[in-house]
Amino acid sequence: MTIFMICLAVLGGALLSIQAAINGQLGAKVGVFRCAFLTFALGAVVTALLIFFFEPPQAHSLMDVPKWQLLGALCGVPYIVIMVLAVQRIGTAAATVAVIFGQLAMSMLIDNFGWLGNTAIAFSPGRLAAVVCLAIALFFIYSSNKPKKASA
Amino acid sequence: MLFRFDLKEAIMQLIFLFLVIAGGMGLSVEAGLLGPLGQQVGDLWATFSIFGVGAALTFLLMLFFSPRNSPSFFAQPGWQLLGGILGPGYVVILTLATPVIGIAMTMIGILAGQVFKSLVIDHFGLLGTPHRRIDGKRIIALVFIVIALALVARG
Repeated sequence: MTIFMICLAVLGGALLSIQAAINGQLGAKVGVFRCAFLTFALGAVVTALLIFFFEPPQAHSLMDVPKWQLLGALCGVPYIVIMVLAVQRIGTAAATVAVIFGQLAMSMLIDNFGWLGNTAIAFSPGRLAAVVCLAIALFFIYSSNKPKKASA
Repeated sequence: MLFRFDLKEAIMQLIFLFLVIAGGMGLSVEAGLLGPLGQQVGDLWATFSIFGVGAALTFLLMLFFSPRNSPSFFAQPGWQLLGGILGPGYVVILTLATPVIGIAMTMIGILAGQVFKSLVIDHFGLLGTPHRRIDGKRIIALVFIVIALALVARG
């Protein structure tokens, strides 16, 4: 089950980078906000279709849960705006590494403390070693993005 | 480029750096909200909450802040509009995976997929991006990400 879910996550990352490659070109033509709107609107339409035909009945609806649980999009949308503004200032390489750093640090925190109603997974020596590996990976991602900016 | 230390610019850059880190943290919070939500209302409904609210917010942003004369969606080739089809796949996967393997492992897996796929996209110049030779540094990065994934999986 764990292995299957890891494979799914890797697939999710692949989907995300295909989306980024497509949206990068669309955004350059029609503007970032229009592009982001199309992405979310199309996502909502596709999900609505899937719900109509495939979602089994649920005990609770979105209206029953505490409102803070619906704030996910309020975390995703500012990310888009911040990236647009920041990439011009600090460059792609630094921005990419900073996003991943924030993502990983926060995910370790949520896991460790079990925030937002998640099951707590304690920080361990294995996780510390993983953080070191990720820091090395980030260094290589940074240096692979850096010369591109200079030649672009 | 001037080699003069500009304090104001340095502070601006630092502020943007922290903003971007906060943005990345937001992505993990989003994933952290999705898992428990999906277990209560169903995975697709949880996904819909992201895209429904996101569409409403970005509609407002587009309405007020988009450049007035940008070209229509209908002037673009159809396949360039497909980005939004892939988004729900990503969000459903977050909703399914985080309760089972935790936020950190999900995020590292996502990262591995992104780096792998961007290597493939660049190498073959897919999707109209400029063709670029496969990049040794990013292969090394991918190897370290996979090691990290294995370390987190072992606990």
